[in-house]
Amino acid sequence: MNVDIRKREGVTVLDIEGRIIGSDSLALKHIIDEQINATEEGQVKILLNLEKVRMVDSSGLGVIVAAYTSVQRKGGRISLLHVGGNIKSLIVMAKLVTIFDRYEDENEAIASFQ
Amino acid sequence: MGKTAEQVIRLDLPSSMQLVYVLDAIISEILREMGFDEETSEQVNLAVIEAGTNAIKHGNKEDPNKRAYFEFAVHPDKLAVVVRDEGQGFVREEVADPLDPVNLLKSSGRGLFLMEACMDVVTYGNSGAVVNMVKYKSSSEKQQA
Repeated sequence: MNVDIRKREGVTVLDIEGRIIGSDSLALKHIIDEQINATEEGQVKILLNLEKVRMVDSSGLGVIVAAYTSVQRKGGRISLLHVGGNIKSLIVMAKLVTIFDRYEDENEAIASFQ
Repeated sequence: MGKTAEQVIRLDLPSSMQLVYVLDAIISEILREMGFDEETSEQVNLAVIEAGTNAIKHGNKEDPNKRAYFEFAVHPDKLAVVVRDEGQGFVREEVADPLDPVNLLKSSGRGLFLMEACMDVVTYGNSGAVVNMVKYKSSSEKQQA
């Protein structure tokens, strides 16, 4: 798994590539936690770009859920971009469809944070 | 079409979460060779990774002296998978339902549920230290079984 971090209009965009399985999940958790901890209360705006993610397992899904609850507690917002294939099925099966804000267009996703 | 296993592939891994990717690589190749469609392949791949993660993380507790054992039996009509660990096992009925509203936002506890949702048959043996899973290549073969 590889994660590139960029800022766009006050939103931290994490471009994730590869698989989020096994030990990758813990690595992603550390990266997301760093971003949350480095941001002031109420200012956390994170967009997870999953376009190049080939596979997510339950531990990877757990990291995304944990990020959602952490960001909520800090008065911020986290959204998902380009949720497809295996990840979409996973979210549906786990009954998390209504929990996550999902976008297929990055401009639209960024605008939703403003 | 015969029901006898044509080919059995065995693998054992040290109990390290960093080796879960090996499972992904092997099961992906087996599924490709068997001609499973993309959606079904993703389901089986996920179930095998979940079973492997459970064996390494929860069964063997990532003890480097313990190993996780995998058997993939390739049949004409199905793939049968056995995953075994060297842990104490678990009681399936005592594992919380991840779809219960009080558990929906928990960061863990979805592995068994996903295995059972993705495979046609999932059974547990040796007090949970052995998991047997089957995926049929088509729904008609599943009904005939």
